[in-house]
Amino acid sequence: MPMELLHDLKVAHAQDTRARQDFVSALRGYVLNDMAAGMKQRYQEAVAPALRQRLGRPAATQDDVHDAMRGDLFFKFYSSVRYNAQEMVWRSVVPGIEAALPEMQARAAEVAGRAGGTLTLDPALDLPENVTEIDVHLMPGVHAAPDTPAAGAIYDNGLAVFSAGFMGRELNDIGMSMANYVAKKFPDFRPADILDAGCTVGHNTLAWAQTYPAARVTGIDVSSSVLRYAHARAGSLGIAAHFHQMDATSLGFPDESFDVVFSSMFLHEMSVKDIKLFFAEAHRVLRPGGLLVNMELPPNQALEPYDQFYLDWDCYYNAEPYYRAFRDQDYPALTRAGGFAAEDYLQFTVPQYTYMEDAAFAEAVQRPATIDGETGRLSASLQWFGFGAWKR
Amino acid sequence: MSLLPLEAAGKRPAFFEEPGMDQLVSMMLELAAEVWVVKERVFVLESVLGQHGIAARDAVEAYVPTADEQQTLAAMRAAMTAQLFRTLAREHRPVRS
Repeated sequence: MPMELLHDLKVAHAQDTRARQDFVSALRGYVLNDMAAGMKQRYQEAVAPALRQRLGRPAATQDDVHDAMRGDLFFKFYSSVRYNAQEMVWRSVVPGIEAALPEMQARAAEVAGRAGGTLTLDPALDLPENVTEIDVHLMPGVHAAPDTPAAGAIYDNGLAVFSAGFMGRELNDIGMSMANYVAKKFPDFRPADILDAGCTVGHNTLAWAQTYPAARVTGIDVSSSVLRYAHARAGSLGIAAHFHQMDATSLGFPDESFDVVFSSMFLHEMSVKDIKLFFAEAHRVLRPGGLLVNMELPPNQALEPYDQFYLDWDCYYNAEPYYRAFRDQDYPALTRAGGFAAEDYLQFTVPQYTYMEDAAFAEAVQRPATIDGETGRLSASLQWFGFGAWKR
Repeated sequence: MSLLPLEAAGKRPAFFEEPGMDQLVSMMLELAAEVWVVKERVFVLESVLGQHGIAARDAVEAYVPTADEQQTLAAMRAAMTAQLFRTLAREHRPVRS
């Protein structure tokens, strides 16, 4: 089922539209759990043995797997159904948002800043190519109405359908899991200033404010539209956060002004060159003793070829051109490139915070990171992956 | 003209070699979505009727069609089946020129 949005920008979709969203969510759940399990079995039982015979060795890379799977009928149906489901996610929310937009803008104006948050836009900002040239994960309309909260609404409503329950009731499970990992694993660390880079609608930004109520929480993004939405959404939820239109590769904040620099599902939308620029900027704006922490997909080098291929499906078929190049990186080397010391690197996996008891989560964060085919993959046994580094 | 586009930029990938197969999957899924929309609406309709004192869901379950209605339903089913497999039917029953 799609998650119901729990704030004032919620769109009142018609019954038939809600039913269509139910269907698309269920379809995604079926593709990502049932069809994915069937496809892996198909690979193990039929495709891998044939591949081994043809190559005279087992699959060494995800390209071996991809080449072999491309001709498989099950893979074709998995891919075409998943691709269509992705298109249907956006199609199921866009018309309702368009119809509701004037009213949404009026409501946004009413609630924005209600909790003491602010919005600072920069009309002179040059939008990077990875944002202007690509409709990432097939989401249309990012630039259609920059002076309205439309793109934020498409993202938020789309995520409610897309997540199929995997991202929490308030769509903030990633932020809650990451912030609570830090809070429970490092109880003596008390960040006063927290930055979320590439924050979109601020769904994961606010999780930090909820976890560290005394901290000042800031979110940046290059899109004015998602920030307008984020600002109003935060006001509606009664949480103070400060949103700035800014590029993560060139932060407009003074040196040593944050204790945490956070990102989620962000690095895989950027070139490796930009990730290194962002990490260098993160290092610059962090205070000594501060933490860079990124929720991301796990690195390819930790996974079997099939699992690499499975996660990188998005790179080939879901308008995610930077996905694989990022996942092929050595993550500790990326943080070192930003100026962090090798011994200050950290990585971890965590279960989903909003789906479990606080005490059970506190126990789980003490366990070492276990990376396998389920890590970071939307499925019933999901674990989030995080990595980053402390600044000396 | 609408303000917000429905489609993402870029070329759609083809997963099948057979021409039209990719479009066919899209059509099938759109159709499935529409069928679900109708199913959900019928369910909601029964609930609404129930709230107004008409136990439609139970009545539907317990309903026994009359002999005439059964004939009508049988004809409707046969027509629907023929419609569904009309392209296959062409293979073994050539259309008269």
